Parts: sequence; structure tokens; C-alpha cells
Amino acid sequence: MSQLSRLVHIARTDFSYFFRTKWLMAVLISLSLSDMLVVGLVYGRLIPTKFAGLTYFQFLVPGIVVVGLFSAATDTGRRIWLALREGVVQYYLTLPIRTGGLVGAYIISGGLGGIVYSGALLVIAYVALSFLGPTAIPVQGILYALVLIPFLFVLATGIAGLAAFFASVSRRGEMYWVYAQALQVSMVTISTVFYPAQTIARYLPAPIATIAEYNPLSLAAGILRDSAFAGNPLDTSALTNLLATSLPLAALGAFAYWIILRTIRLKGKP
Amino acid sequence: MYAVETLNLSKRYGKTDALRGLNFTVNEGEIMVILGPNGSGKTTLLMILCTILKPTSGTARVVGIDVVEEGTKVREVMGIAFQEARGFWRHKPSSILKFHASMFDIDPAKRQDLIERTMKDLELWESRDKMFMHLSGGQAKRLETAKVLIQQPKLAIFDEPTSQVDLRGKRKIWDKIRELRDQGSTIIVATNEVREAEYLADRVTILHQGQRVVCDTIPKLKDAIAGGDIVEVDFEDPVSGKLVDDLNGLGGDVSLLSDGNQLRAKVSRAEDWVPKMTSASYVAGAKIASIRITEPSLDDVFLHFTGKALADQP
Ligand SMILES: Nc1ncnc2c1ncn2[C@@H]1O[C@H](COP(=O)(O)OP(=O)(O)OP(=O)(O)O)[C@@H](O)[C@H]1O
Ligand SMILES: [Mg+2]
Repeated sequence: MSQLSRLVHIARTDFSYFFRTKWLMAVLISLSLSDMLVVGLVYGRLIPTKFAGLTYFQFLVPGIVVVGLFSAATDTGRRIWLALREGVVQYYLTLPIRTGGLVGAYIISGGLGGIVYSGALLVIAYVALSFLGPTAIPVQGILYALVLIPFLFVLATGIAGLAAFFASVSRRGEMYWVYAQALQVSMVTISTVFYPAQTIARYLPAPIATIAEYNPLSLAAGILRDSAFAGNPLDTSALTNLLATSLPLAALGAFAYWIILRTIRLKGKP
Repeated sequence: MYAVETLNLSKRYGKTDALRGLNFTVNEGEIMVILGPNGSGKTTLLMILCTILKPTSGTARVVGIDVVEEGTKVREVMGIAFQEARGFWRHKPSSILKFHASMFDIDPAKRQDLIERTMKDLELWESRDKMFMHLSGGQAKRLETAKVLIQQPKLAIFDEPTSQVDLRGKRKIWDKIRELRDQGSTIIVATNEVREAEYLADRVTILHQGQRVVCDTIPKLKDAIAGGDIVEVDFEDPVSGKLVDDLNGLGGDVSLLSDGNQLRAKVSRAEDWVPKMTSASYVAGAKIASIRITEPSLDDVFLHFTGKALADQP
């Protein structure tokens, strides 16, 4: 096996851990689906106003898809934290793969988790929208969604990186859960995932509105809305911004995890 | 070339010196048992050999490859069964073994067969549907051993492979480890159990406080202790100080240890010493309940070289 295929194999095994955690799957799926079907469809009929030219359902569903991606990608943090706690990291360190490969495998597996889970939500949203929604999905929208996959993958590695960072700094401590919760609340709240930019601009100070605008989750939700659901051509500057904000986060996480592995090598424990 | 060679190897954790200038070698194709009490540095040494831990100073080579400079290459040729089993909590034993086998390029055509056979040999087959986190301590340890057996690495390391394993399981594991050696692997086993060392070792290295005390085959280690035999005498009453003095006065190369009703003597020739001891006891009025003559055990060897008893674990 080459270094690369080992990396892929480790990423795949770690990624499967996400789906093996049954309670997590149950919680995530029921939350995502109830948000989408109950909130989106029911409220969508109650609230006839259009947000940025979209029905409430069309506005909300991309947000739910992005939050799904976020939750699945941050699970990398939980898995790193568990591996540190359960001592599986030491096992990984005995495998014939370079440390960089081990780090890469975790970040990639976070990316995979994010893309697979949010992809499934997207498919469900398309199906729900075409049967129940007020308007049909344009065919170009689906094509744009396919083009977006690699970009969403990069976003998911960025989120995974951020989670890996928090898992690494909390080592084996329970603090990880506090960080993870804070991360979820801040990244989803200070974003345009669930409400339009104008709403934020009206109620919150300007710097926060700017952060919300450049929050990679906002960027991704916006691109999904405009292109995957409304069928408008992809906005290249938004895509560039998405990459520019996600990649440093992936790098940060990789670095933090690498430092933790080095610490284990020096001190015998994380 | 040695399969393993360390030169002046040291590891310090904060203020603890776990290894202190260790020089240690293992020949190709042998089972080297590292015998030492808790905290003597066994695990630390093994962690350095398998590249998880960086030494503070000194060097270590595995089949000639430096563990610090070329860690990835070392990891390709060695396998370790950890003292505390480490596995993916939500995987079943066979998928843990499958993952391990693919990481080490075990022929995919033979993989399934090998995994099944090894699991059956180690009596893990009945637990095949349990997730790792639901295995008992002993079962998890068997799985840890199974990983290395399947891998058949050039250098196989087992850190206390049978702690938590029942007696039947111990035998199985020991036999499999020997089989692995017979198939050409070099093996290191760390233990604090004398029985395990006696069963497995081609040679024994005694480790004490991070240093090598002695290294040799078991018969040679036993010969090296002054006196060839151990005589254990049970008296009907507690052994008095006077009796010990009397027995010490009998001459010959004797060392005595008394504990309650029992007396343990290391003597050069039991057949000369026992008659003298019985008549001296008779004269002193101490009634003998039983006499046993045995060879020295590794416990005695350990005691001899370190001045401390190696507490035998249950
Ligand atoms: N990660 C660590 N951090 C600090 N000290 C450590 C660490 N690991 C081991 N030590 C210390 O180093 C010494 C050697 O420990 P080691 O685990 O190598 O012993 P051992 O011979 O394997 O013992 P045992 O028979 O209990 O497994 C001990 O004093 C131990 O407390
Ligand atoms: Mg140990």
C-alpha cells in the first residue's frame, strides 16, 4: 500500500465512525429533517413574504444543508477527542504512514463526512421541494449543485480543521464540548444561514455584520440559494471567498493536530 | 546485524527518568523477554522502539533503521501489541483486524482466512459480533495480540500480552508467539510474570529502574546465582532467630530467608546441606513439617541481581 492509499484508508475508516455512532445519526437526522419539513414547509406556507426573492422554504433549506455540513464536519473534532481519550491515536502512530498523512486523513475524513451528509440533505430537499414545494427546482440548479461539491468539500475540511483545533487544545478534557457548543452557536448565529443579511445589518453592529457576511457558512448558504435552488449562474467571487476563508481553517486544524501528535511523541501522552 | 540495538538510550518524563542509558540488543529470530517490575521502563522502551515516543538521548535501531530518523520505515517492519488494548470502539474485532491487515499489505486473498483462523485460535470467534467497546479486558488483549500475529512483522513486540487473560488463554497466546518466532519473526515480550518469561524466553533481559541489570539465557542466569539449589523448609512452629544462626553456622555457601514457619535457603548442594540442617533442627528442637528442593526461579535471579523481590502477579 502506498502512503496515499493508506491515508485514504484511514480517512475512510475514521469517516465510517461518524455513521457508526447511532445516537449521533439519530439526533442529526431528526433535527435536520424536522427543521426542513416542519419548519420550512409549514412556516413557508404561513409566511408568504419572500426573502431576497425566495420563498421561506427556498431560503431556509440551503441553510439547513449548510448546518448539516457543519455538524457532520465538526464531528471530526469529537473523533479526534475520542481518539486522544481512548488511546487510538497511539495505535495510529504505529502505522506505516507519515505524521502528515495521519493529519491529512483526519481533515479529509471531516470533509467527506460533511459532504456526504449535506449531500444527502440536499437530495432530500430537492425531492421535498419538487413534491411539496411551491415552485419546482430548475434543472441548472442541480447541475450547479454538482459543480459545488468540491467547494463544499473544502468548506467541510475548513470546519473539520476548526473542530480539530478545539479538540487538540482541549486534549482529553471535557472542555471540548464547551468549545464545540460555542463554535456551533457563534458560527451559525453570526451568519446569514437562517436570516438574510439585511436583518443582521438592521439589528447588529457593522463589524458583526461583516463577519457574518464572510463567515464561510454564510457564503456557502448564499451560493446554494442563488445557484443550486434559484438556478442563477455561480458567483465566482463568492466561491473564491469561500475557498479563501475555508482553507486557512483547515490549515489551522491540521497544524494543531500535528502539534498534539508531536506532544505525544515527546511526553508519552496528549 | 542486531534486530534491535539501543545505545545509551534515555527517556525522561518531566522529573522521572524512565530509561537511564540503556544498552540493549536483540538477535534476529529470538524471543527476548524483558523482565522488570512495575515502573522499570519496559513500556517506555517499547514505545521508543515502535516510534511513538522520542528518546531524550541515545539511539535505537530496528533492523538497522534509526527509529527517530526513519520512523515510517521502522513502522513498516514492526508490530506492537499494547499493554492496554487500543481499538476502534465501534468496530467489530474482524474489521479491526481487516483494517490492520490492509495497512500492512497482507495478501488480500489470504486475509479473510488468516483473520478467521487467528480469531479461532485465540478464542475470539465467539465474540466476533461484539463491538470493541463491549469486549472484556481479556478479550481486548487477545485481539491486541491477534493484530500482531496476523501482521507477521519482522519485529513483533508484545507488552504484557497475557495480563488480564485467563490461564487457558495465556497458554494459547504463548504458543502462538512461539509459532510466530518459528516462522521467522524476532520477538520482544515485556512482562513482570516469571512464568511467562520461563515459558517464552530464548533470552531474558532484566530491567530495573530504567537500566539493564543482566541479559542471558534462563539456564545461564540461574547458574550465575551463587548456589545451585533452593531448599524450602516448613517448620511446625515459627522459625527462631537462634535456629537461623545455627543453620548459618553450618558452613558452606548459604543464604537464608525466613518468613513465619517457612525457611528458604539458597545452597550450593542440597544433598550435602539437608542432612546437616535436619540434625541441627533436631538438636534445636524445631520440628520439620516438610522439605522441598527446587531449582532457583527467575524470582531468585531477580532478587540476586537487584536485591529486591519481583512480586509475582496473580
Ligand atoms: N507519559 C508519562 N508521563 C510521565 N511519566 C511516565 C509516563 N509514562 C511512564 N512514566 C513513568 O516512567 C516510569 C517507567 O514507566 P513504564 O510505563 O515504562 O514502566 P513499565 O515497566 O512498563 O511498568 P508496568 O509493569 O507497570 O507496565 C514510571 O516511573 C512511570 O511512572
Ligand atoms: Mg508497562
